[in-house]
Amino acid sequence: MYKTDVRGKLIDGEKSLSQISQEILAPIDAKTPRWWYIAMGISLVMLVLGVKSIYITLTEGIGTWGVNSTVAWGWEIINFVWWIGIGHAGTAFSIFLLILRQKWRTAINRAAEAMTVVAVFCAALFPLMHMGRPWLFFYIFPYPNTRGPLWVNFNSPLFWDFMAISAYLLISASFWYFGMVPDFATIRDTTKSKIKKAVYGFFAFGWTGSSREWLRYEGLAFVLGGIAAVLVVSVHSIVSTDFAVSVEPGWHTTLFPPYFVVGAIFSGFAMVLTLVTLMKKLYKMGDFITENHVDAVCRILVFISLIMGTAYITEIFIAWYSGSEYEMYTFFKNRITGEYAMQFWGMFIFNALLPQLFWSRKVRRNLWVVFAISLFINLGMWFERFNIVVTSLSKNYLPASWAEYHPTWVEIGFFVGTLGMFAAGVLLFFRYIPQIAISEVKMISKYNTQQTDHLKPGHHHDYE
Amino acid sequence: MITNKKYLVGVFDDEHTLKDAFQKALDKGVVIEEVYTPYPIHEILHGMKYKTHISHAAFFFGLFGVTAIIGGMYYAAVIDWPLLFGGKPFNTFPSFIVVSIVATILTITILTLLTFSIRSKIYPGKTADIIDIRATDDKFIILLDQDKMGIEIPAVTQLFQSNGASEVYQKESTSN
Repeated sequence: MYKTDVRGKLIDGEKSLSQISQEILAPIDAKTPRWWYIAMGISLVMLVLGVKSIYITLTEGIGTWGVNSTVAWGWEIINFVWWIGIGHAGTAFSIFLLILRQKWRTAINRAAEAMTVVAVFCAALFPLMHMGRPWLFFYIFPYPNTRGPLWVNFNSPLFWDFMAISAYLLISASFWYFGMVPDFATIRDTTKSKIKKAVYGFFAFGWTGSSREWLRYEGLAFVLGGIAAVLVVSVHSIVSTDFAVSVEPGWHTTLFPPYFVVGAIFSGFAMVLTLVTLMKKLYKMGDFITENHVDAVCRILVFISLIMGTAYITEIFIAWYSGSEYEMYTFFKNRITGEYAMQFWGMFIFNALLPQLFWSRKVRRNLWVVFAISLFINLGMWFERFNIVVTSLSKNYLPASWAEYHPTWVEIGFFVGTLGMFAAGVLLFFRYIPQIAISEVKMISKYNTQQTDHLKPGHHHDYE
Repeated sequence: MITNKKYLVGVFDDEHTLKDAFQKALDKGVVIEEVYTPYPIHEILHGMKYKTHISHAAFFFGLFGVTAIIGGMYYAAVIDWPLLFGGKPFNTFPSFIVVSIVATILTITILTLLTFSIRSKIYPGKTADIIDIRATDDKFIILLDQDKMGIEIPAVTQLFQSNGASEVYQKESTSN
């Protein structure tokens, strides 16, 4: 049980149920603020740059990128892994915290899930464009095709990846959507606008809140939650296998799957922290996303950051302990020192050291510091992927084929475009969808006051 | 068939009064047609005695999915188009496991969602049969069918009101 007297209130102010609906739905009913248009404008400009880069890639080919035969994977794979990692938070929030009965997740899970869906879309664009001829992407589907009954290679992690990401996208989107159905019904039943009533009514799927609906809804949530938990672990394990099955120094390690999964959840939680800080400040959702929520996320980040630090050190230790001179070279001459040392130390400091500040309660309760650290963690996680992809590839076994990698503006534009797409998606979410799961927050509102029910004989906890 | 149904609607302001009144009504043998709440309340779900087998259904969808997927991969890799990779076996089962897990999860999700949609009659664009429009906002509604409730109207009105109902009213419905 969430102990209000120990961990603080989950909802500030004594709110009635209808107040909860009204306050969460306020951004949907209110006039769109000016900053929203400005932010949307900037996002769209970024998106246009991305579209232009994609157009150039499509019409002229991969040669417009900075990748070469030695560093065959560049920013695209870095960004792909980065976005997929960010996309892990939604499911982690909704599912792990659902299974662990963490009541504080209710104020944040909707935003995390929305972010997941947009981030996975952004991620999927990169491997698609990296194919060179993306219009033939359907070749990955395992179907008996016109080139003779030739099947895809079921043994390849790249194929597993395709399956995992498609499944992950579909499942997180449906989990997100079904969570919103009761809230859409609330909008349908409380709004005064006829257009909104019709539109949200359509998306509410005829929800009435009857006990039959709730019973099956809860059953569905647990089934989806239970199986998607497996998916969170499998998706990033598979992404890591793309690397780990190769005989490449710095990649060929069994540490990769857990290291990638934990890293993914780390970056996802950091991005959630960025978003909820904005929701607190820009949309005045501070009563629902209290300091206690931010505090809880920060505590998790401290813990995950320690795991990240352990993983980094383990990698270095094993490189030395294995006695393999290629491993030694990669880690000691091409990561810790050498031309890519900045990216290595950026990664190490931002991911393993900086979040240690969250041990201090003062830091956890200072929203601006939390916001800044969350941004640094995202940057650090990007450096981590750069570090893995580029340093290992640039100096391979044959010094004659060593090469440097510099991104071209097409690659940078592509990345900026996905940032714009993500920002635009999040802004649309802020504007048109309840940012917080209304029905779930109503459910926990009763825990806000001291509960005495559990003292009565024969009382069954509904949260157990 | 369209019939005129007469309902009695009890409106409650919070979960506690709803649960009390619900339990007392059940104890008196009142037949409750349906309860509408802004969020799931487990005592009510238990009390209504509905059962859902959605998790069993999901299990069988999974069984079906995993058989179909492993069977499909076996067919592709061994029967239909075997490829020789330096003496490795055609049936490379361990590397089928990952796809089997992921695709099984996908199968379970899609089929369970469909089952939920069909069994709960929840689908895009459906017009909601709203009894009391406040039930998705802040009111808790107990609905009784006047023909089947097994108690007289004044008695049940009295029961609800003495247990904290903020309103009790009659409603006629022309649907089903």
